[in-house]
This record gives sequence, C-alpha cells and structure tokens, in this order.
Amino acid sequence: MKHLPKHLRPRWRYLAVGIETWPNATLDRRSFQRALWYSAGNLLGDAGSADVDLTLLSFSHGTGTGEAVVRARREHVAEARAAVACVSEVDGDPVGIHVRGISGTVRACEERYMGRAGATSTQRDVAFGDAERPAVVRADACDVRTESGYVGATTFDTE
Amino acid sequence: MYEAVHAHPDSESTVARHAATAARYGYAGLVVRTRDALDPADSSPSTADPEVDDPAIDDSETSAPEVDPTRGPARDPDALSEEYGIDVVHAVEIDADDPSSASGAVGNYRPDRTVVCLAGGDDRLNRFAVEEPRVDVLARPMVGDGDVNHVLAKAARDNGVHVEFDLGPLLRNTGGRRVRALADLRKLREIVTYYDAPHVVSANAGSHLELRAPRELVAAAEAVGFDAEWVRDGLRAWGEIAARNRERRSEAFIEPGVRRGRYEEDG
Repeated sequence: MKHLPKHLRPRWRYLAVGIETWPNATLDRRSFQRALWYSAGNLLGDAGSADVDLTLLSFSHGTGTGEAVVRARREHVAEARAAVACVSEVDGDPVGIHVRGISGTVRACEERYMGRAGATSTQRDVAFGDAERPAVVRADACDVRTESGYVGATTFDTE
Repeated sequence: MYEAVHAHPDSESTVARHAATAARYGYAGLVVRTRDALDPADSSPSTADPEVDDPAIDDSETSAPEVDPTRGPARDPDALSEEYGIDVVHAVEIDADDPSSASGAVGNYRPDRTVVCLAGGDDRLNRFAVEEPRVDVLARPMVGDGDVNHVLAKAARDNGVHVEFDLGPLLRNTGGRRVRALADLRKLREIVTYYDAPHVVSANAGSHLELRAPRELVAAAEAVGFDAEWVRDGLRAWGEIAARNRERRSEAFIEPGVRRGRYEEDG
C-alpha cells in the first residue's frame, strides 16, 4: 500500500529500557514482548493499550542484564512508562526494569542509551555472610547463590 | 526523592545492592526498613551490642542465624552512603501482633533508629500507630482486614504520623488481587487527602529487581488515578522525615524551636 503522507503518519517515541534479572534467567524477545502487552492490557485496558501501541523493536539479554527499545505513540508516553514499570516478571523470572531515556528516533535512542551492558560476568566464589559461596560477578553487582536462591549483593558486601 | 526498601536478611538483596540500584535510578536516599540489615551508626563496632536493647539482639540471633556476624563496612550506613552517593537511612519496620507489644517495640527502637515504621493491617494496630507520635510511618494500613476511617486520618494528621501508600501490588500483582489493592488505595487516598494527613509513597521493594525509578512510580500511580505531584511529595516525605529526626537526635536540639547555640560553651 502506498505509504501515508507525512502529516498523517503516527508520531513515535522510542523508550530505551534497561533490564536486570537473576543470572539464571533466560528471556527471549517473544516472552518479553508478551509480558509488555499483558502489562499494558492489564493496566490500561484494551483501549488504552491500543492507544499506546507498545512494540518491541530490539531486544538483547545476557547473564543477568539486558536492554530493549520499545516503541510507543508520542501522545501516550506516560502510559507507556507506566506499563513498562508494571512488568514485574517475564515467564516467571522476576525482572528489574528501568526506562533509561526516551528519544524521537531509533538511532538517537541507540546511540544515547544502549550498549551499556559492557561489563562481562564471571563466576567465582566470594565470601558472603560466614561462608564462601559461588557467585556471578558483573561489574559492581554480585549475585550470590545460597540455599534459598540468589541474593543480590555487591562487591562492597563481599570484600 | 527517597525510597523505602526491605533488605537482606529480610529480602533477597543486600542494602549495598539496593543502594547501588537506587542511586542508578536517581533516588537521593534509601530508607532501610529491615531491622537487622545495618549496624547502629553512632556506636563503635565493639560496643554496638550492649547498647542495643536486648530483645532485638535475641531476635536477630534466633530468627536469622545466617546473618553476617562480622561488622563490616557493608553494614554501616555512613560507609554505604559514601560508597554509592546516596543517603542510607537507618530505619525499622515493626511488625507486632498487638498494640502492647508494638508499644514496647516503638520504645525500644525510637532512640537508635532514624525512621520508625509500624506495619499496620489490623484495626487495633492502625489505631495505635496513628495515635502514637513516636511512630513516623504507618506502613501498609490496608493489607489483610485492616481499614482506615476518618477518625484514624484525623489522628494521623494531629500526631504527624505518615500513612504509607504501598504501590507494590500495583506493580507486582495481577487480576483480582490487584483490583482489590487498587480499590483500597483509592479509598485510602480519598480519606487521607480530605483530612490532609501526611503521606508517604513506596514500592515496598523486596529485592533490587522490584525497585522502580521515581518517574516510573509516578507514571504507574498516575495511570491508576493518583496525582503526579502528590506521589512525588510522598516520595520526598521519606527524606523530610529522616532530616527532621536527624535534627531531633542531634546534640544541639533541645525541643522544637529551641537549639543549643554557639554561646552556650562559655557557661
């Protein structure tokens, strides 16, 4: 179909979203997109969720950290932010989620806010509490495995 | 803006991890509600134990044996504040069964904690909290079968007890449980705003993954009918409580409006 004249095209905003999980979680694009839609549908209803039109444009997730670009309509950025904030788990894995910034183009969004994952994660034993425990260390963050699951700590705790 | 969190051993993230995450999200301060997560700031490590009241020590040893017994910098609010550039506030959340034990706990913790919260959720506890000026925050008054009415709201206003609005269910629950929690929040909001009782807002994060940045909290709250500026006020109120209590606990403070000045030294 012939594309729309410029003044009729929807105006978009692109949300740079930072994601944090426990190191054993594996998220994929589809499950994250589904979580976003469910969150928007539950919080804003069908009508509101259609207005916001949340679409996942790019997604990456490694050990314990990830990032995504989410597209939303310009007039409904506040609702989009609310829907993103209400994503508390993806496929049963709890996620920490944070809007790093909002841009008017995908390119500006990626240049300004993406690609911060930089630090690689390593597995090593750390002193936590009164015992040596295995942990996944990523920059300052340090997820310690204990009997009752992971505990989020930092290198400041384990020195 | 400040956020109040639960920390390890009560939850899945240590104070340091919460502080690192909250600083990245743009908070100016972090109120640590967990009783055993930090050491008292004003006592040296070796003398910390005898100064703290006995019940707290007993509880911490029996209920959480895996807690780090060594007193490292990761348990010192000042060291944490310096490391992460965020104000770490030493607080406590009292979860008592009945008003008389709550009263004892408030008396015990008030001298050495900057912020004292009392977990509500029971009509008698809610009533006790709002009538007790030594309590700073009535936390989660609507959970379970707890309820708030005009009498409690007036008492909260007169005694300066902040009523907490817990956005946790909005962010983390779905379906009927979220609907009921939101209905309770709306009722609470109508009563509290009508009587102009002080309020605080928090996401009640149990781990660093449950923390949300201030703008996200405001956006989510706005989507369910809160006023944005009112929510920001609620987030700032934690900091105001902490600042007020720190001033009251400082040596120069005598009573509201009366301070020990610099001319006192002569006499």
